[in-house]
Amino acid sequence: MTSVTAVLRRANVLGLATMLLFLGAWELLIRTGLLDFQNLPAPTAVAARAQQLLASGELMTNLLHTLRVTVLGWVLASVIGIGLGLVLGLWRPAWRWSMASFELLRAVPPISLVPLALLVFGFSVRTELTLIVYASAWPVLVNTIEGVRTVRPELRDVARTLQLSRRATLLKLTLPAAMPSIVVGLQLGLSLALVLAVVAELVGNPSGLGNALILAQLALRPEEMFAYVFTIGLLGIALNAAFRQIVARTLPSAKPFPGKAS
Amino acid sequence: MTIERPADIAPAAPRTQPRGVACQCRNASVDLVSRSGPRRILGDINFDLHDGEFVAILGRSGSGKTTLLRVLGGLVEPTPDSEVSFHGRPVAGPPQDVVFVFQNYAASLLPWRTVHNNVALGLEGKVPAAEMQARISESLAIVGLEARAADYPWQLSGGMQQRVQLARSLAMRPRGLLMDEPFGSLDAMTKASLQDQLQQVHQHTGATIAFVTHDIDEAVFLSDRILVLDGSPATIAHEIPVELPRPRDQLATKELPEFLRLRRQVYDAIVATRD
Amino acid sequence: MTILGLGPADAASAVEPRARRRTTPGRNTRAESFPPLRGLLPLVVFLALWQLVASGLSPFFPPPSDWAAALLDLWSSGVLLSAAGATVVTFGLGLLAATVLGTVLGLAVGASARTDRALQPTLEYARAMPPAAVVPIATLLLGFTGTMKVVVVTSAAIWSILLNTRSGVRQLNPVMFEMARSLQLSRFERVRKVTLPALLPAIFLGVRVAAPVALVITLLVEILTQVDGVGALIAQSQRNYEFAQGYGLILVAGLFALLVNALVSMLQARVMRHRPPA
Repeated sequence: MTSVTAVLRRANVLGLATMLLFLGAWELLIRTGLLDFQNLPAPTAVAARAQQLLASGELMTNLLHTLRVTVLGWVLASVIGIGLGLVLGLWRPAWRWSMASFELLRAVPPISLVPLALLVFGFSVRTELTLIVYASAWPVLVNTIEGVRTVRPELRDVARTLQLSRRATLLKLTLPAAMPSIVVGLQLGLSLALVLAVVAELVGNPSGLGNALILAQLALRPEEMFAYVFTIGLLGIALNAAFRQIVARTLPSAKPFPGKAS
Repeated sequence: MTIERPADIAPAAPRTQPRGVACQCRNASVDLVSRSGPRRILGDINFDLHDGEFVAILGRSGSGKTTLLRVLGGLVEPTPDSEVSFHGRPVAGPPQDVVFVFQNYAASLLPWRTVHNNVALGLEGKVPAAEMQARISESLAIVGLEARAADYPWQLSGGMQQRVQLARSLAMRPRGLLMDEPFGSLDAMTKASLQDQLQQVHQHTGATIAFVTHDIDEAVFLSDRILVLDGSPATIAHEIPVELPRPRDQLATKELPEFLRLRRQVYDAIVATRD
Repeated sequence: MTILGLGPADAASAVEPRARRRTTPGRNTRAESFPPLRGLLPLVVFLALWQLVASGLSPFFPPPSDWAAALLDLWSSGVLLSAAGATVVTFGLGLLAATVLGTVLGLAVGASARTDRALQPTLEYARAMPPAAVVPIATLLLGFTGTMKVVVVTSAAIWSILLNTRSGVRQLNPVMFEMARSLQLSRFERVRKVTLPALLPAIFLGVRVAAPVALVITLLVEILTQVDGVGALIAQSQRNYEFAQGYGLILVAGLFALLVNALVSMLQARVMRHRPPA
């Protein structure tokens, strides 16, 4: 197999071609007037508008805001989630005397908190950040607890056979064994952070991609709406990819569970 | 474990007249498509299976015996110039009246159906309800599993699961039975018991049986004729008739001088297939 | 597990702790063991304290008794019931559509490597779209209608079902199908008697994750568009500065989430009770 073929294989030409096909069909249907559905814009119109937004810097500003707040919120949530998760996971009494409460709290969908959060904290970045941290912390917390608590019994026996101290067991066995689960939690938290960011911006924060999306809707500019929606999607993919790269490089053995592979 | 012979299965007619041909294989070849181009794994196979005959197909691992069986079973397509027919009809897909018994019995049973319903699988919608029930009870009785009809396959041992597969095949009243190392992964006692049951089934139903195995003893014990496959592409390297008296007994038959002679003959044939 | 708006469906393959081995027929799902009930103490104490110091707090934080009163009001006026009804209908239809479409698409991409590769970037991209971002587009195209709600919910809930069905198809043992062919089962019979039952565990796994997603997205759409439902009531509480009502409705949302989880578990246990233990 020549290197060109190898590259082509990796790049999934068929897949990209199919995607282009869909876009092309969409464009064609609009151009020929066959599809005239409620202001649905043609892909080329969307691309043109996106180009303009990019050139004016508007897109970038909004993107960076959302990106910053997402990552910041996620980092905070991860610190809280892992910290609390380790305490609850490792210290049985703490778990026994509080986990049920957490389970109930967890059941409440964070989205239902958004309207009241807006009232209490106002329409600001602070609200956005609070919501992000609250929502993203949960998967991190739950997965950390799970990871730490479900260390395989065989590994625990190994620790005892090797006469490892409690500290050594923790550092050399429990934590590394919990890493895959924690990594999964972090990844879930990251996706969630972006989602909450967008939601908060849609309803409450006067900046960011979500906000721009809503403004475009109010101004009746469908091409702009689509441009922002596509950007949000791209941001999600980019964040995920970046996360996987970082994990692959820093924690090569903590590969997420099977089923996560694209 | 002996089989209770259900009253309405008549024993096969004694072998006095020449038998018809159940399966014909002419010029059969199979190509496998691989990265480096097509590779011929079976080449120019020619043989006949006679009605009611029990033929064992023997060979080393990877010798193509399973492939040959799957060709007969319509699960593998041979090359266009091959001619394979069953009961006079060319094989294009699984032939009517012929049932394939798989080595991986666990995977061939549906885990969400009871034993009873697994046996029913091939009969549903094809046979009136009353008759279906009768056939199921009969087949389960033949393999001795009537008591487990309401259980699920995963609750049964390996040997029992294989018996369920057998019962399912029998319920179809097949004229031909293609068995792919059916007892290969079972322990010796279960294997012996199932061999006996298979023998009795063969006696009573007169079905034509093609049986793939790598166990020489088993091949000699069960069959009327042994085909040894070898080569690359594989062909029938040896054909050894087995004329031992029936019914055959696990101990008595295996002590006969003829059994030992045949055993050695087959063993030599297999060893000769080593390059 | 309630997770908001699972955009990237990496939550689709959420961590499932090791199932306990069973040898008798029974529940085949991971035993949903709730942690010891004494763990409810902090919550109870917290609520009790809140109740006690209520008068000292700002009107932003009314005591739990006020929430109950507000909810009772909503109930007796029939508003809560009709809102709950709207939420349930959207949730149910959305989940149903997601299951059907997810299964069909999952089958398509699982069965054919070609189709899989062809659709992969498109699906991957669609999956990455946070549902919240989809809402404005949906209202643009479909207006503020019940249909719009269901479409958004379906678009979010479909992923875990699709992915799990796809992985289920890939894990099907070909022997089962050869066996079915050998028994002369027609194509239709094979799909009905072998393929679908064999895929049921995978589909259910997808549904288990999709159900909470469907609920959350239903609420999301309702909050954002205020068409109807519990979410719309929550948004309304915000507009009218009705804090007690708001908190009460948050509780209702939490209750729904717990109910959905319980129902799905029960359904799964029922449908899969004869399957081999995991």
